[in-house]
Amino acid sequence: MSSQLSSQLNKPATQTAGAEGYNFAYLDEQSKRMIRRAMLKAVAIPGYQVPFGGREMPLPHGWGTGGMQLTATVIGEADTLKVIDQGADDTTNAVSIRRFFAKTAGVATTEHTADASLIQTRHRIPERQLRNDQILIYQVPIPEPLRFIEPRETETRKMHALREYGAMQVKLYEDVARFGHIATSYDYPVMVNDRYMMDPSPIPKFDNPKMNQMPALQLFGAGFEKRIYAVPPYTRVVSLDFDDYPFEVQSWEESCSICGSDHSFLDEVIMDDAGNKMFVCSDTDYCRERVEQGFTAENPEGQQGLTPEHNQVQQENKKQDDTKAEEMAL
Amino acid sequence: MSVQVNSMNRGAVRSDLLMTGFDDAVQDAQKVFRKVLKAMSEPGTILTADLTDKTPGALNKSSWEIALTLFDADTKIWLSPTLAGDDAVVSNLRFHCQCPMVSEPAEADFALALADELPELKALNWGNSEYPDQATTLIVQVEAITNQTQDNDEGWCLNGPGIETERGLTVAGLPYSFRRDLVNSRKRFPLGVDCVFCADDQLVALPRSTEIKPSDSEEGIRNTIQQEAN
Ligand SMILES: [Zn+2]
Repeated sequence: MSSQLSSQLNKPATQTAGAEGYNFAYLDEQSKRMIRRAMLKAVAIPGYQVPFGGREMPLPHGWGTGGMQLTATVIGEADTLKVIDQGADDTTNAVSIRRFFAKTAGVATTEHTADASLIQTRHRIPERQLRNDQILIYQVPIPEPLRFIEPRETETRKMHALREYGAMQVKLYEDVARFGHIATSYDYPVMVNDRYMMDPSPIPKFDNPKMNQMPALQLFGAGFEKRIYAVPPYTRVVSLDFDDYPFEVQSWEESCSICGSDHSFLDEVIMDDAGNKMFVCSDTDYCRERVEQGFTAENPEGQQGLTPEHNQVQQENKKQDDTKAEEMAL
Repeated sequence: MSVQVNSMNRGAVRSDLLMTGFDDAVQDAQKVFRKVLKAMSEPGTILTADLTDKTPGALNKSSWEIALTLFDADTKIWLSPTLAGDDAVVSNLRFHCQCPMVSEPAEADFALALADELPELKALNWGNSEYPDQATTLIVQVEAITNQTQDNDEGWCLNGPGIETERGLTVAGLPYSFRRDLVNSRKRFPLGVDCVFCADDQLVALPRSTEIKPSDSEEGIRNTIQQEAN
């Protein structure tokens, strides 16, 4: 082979926008291919846990390598990444992960749910309905919903193969016997496409209904156990329940102290030593968006009788004005 | 079949037949992967993979780009006879992907076939009930794919995960027996074969989770199934 052809053919993996000395998005191409193949199988068998190989991604402890590996595998130069931890964009973890991919992949990042093409999350699903052109990537600590019932992988594999999910029903029913209702409020198991029982990761069960028929692709990554599972867009996801004890989400007597929302997942915040507390939206971007639209705790219906749609239009106009102003400033 | 076996076992890469792969191995593989991911998660959606100018031998653009994106030393590949006998195809797959070739479709992680050389569906690996993911992914080069299902007798109506209501799909040129076996294979979910159909630079996927109903050709397929049963 001529040396010219040889060098042409052996074109190295380019460092398009990545940091010096790293592969794009930090993960090596062989690991990406391995994860990509597993991801396609996960999508083809909704809710089923696909094992994957590959090297450990050397990351600071507590970052959750599963979600990171999936994001690194999926992400491209055209993406805009949002990262949330417990609903917030500004926690140490979320900020670090955003910076990490901004540096190693050179991608744009955002805190706005609406502007993101990829959203990596730990413990929440955004309140704003996701679109079909978005991908939601969950960080998963324990992928196997049956693990606390059956520690052996060989056995849980068999249970999934045979759809033997009675033990989980018994566990949930024990709740009913003890507490008079199903006490499980996080990690609440779901059935995907009427076939596989799936752990939705430690999101509050408040978020479970959002998984059903979601227009966005949902990918789940467990780094330690090396498992990937997925829910394709528009897929049936049903929370387990009983005829006499139907599935119910958490609800609050209070509304958000900032935006007045009476329909979002609320965090309780202790205000002072006297133990005074307030409730605020866990989804910080959703809360911000509502405030920008004129919703407040005093005026939860929005500005002076304007409908949210009106406010949306106003907001869009303002955004365009801001953009124009920025352009002129440049 | 001696041609196939010979080329399978031929270790050497013919350097005079080699051509360049992706211009940018990392970015292009990512772009093609996202297309395949979209295709697999939204069955019946037709996507375009058009990042290469030339393809080796009989490979079309989309199948060549999928190979460059997903094949490597860890994936066993089965090629249908014409492709296996095509030195340009074999040399470039070996060179760019370093993938081992197998002569039995059942051993393959990926089977790459021309539409008129498809192996029997049952000859591929369908996975097992504890590890259904170990199934073969079948990549088929076909004449044409379209979401139109009128005016032909090969149209399908698709339902299932990734499809909001329903989606029409016609894959032109698939043998009747294969179409029939694919429809029937759905009864064995989660076992099954995930298919990607490639026409020139277009691709469409049919994972095993997709229910397939023959649309216009319903009668025809039913009759065939009936005849086979008798
Ligand atoms: Zn709020």
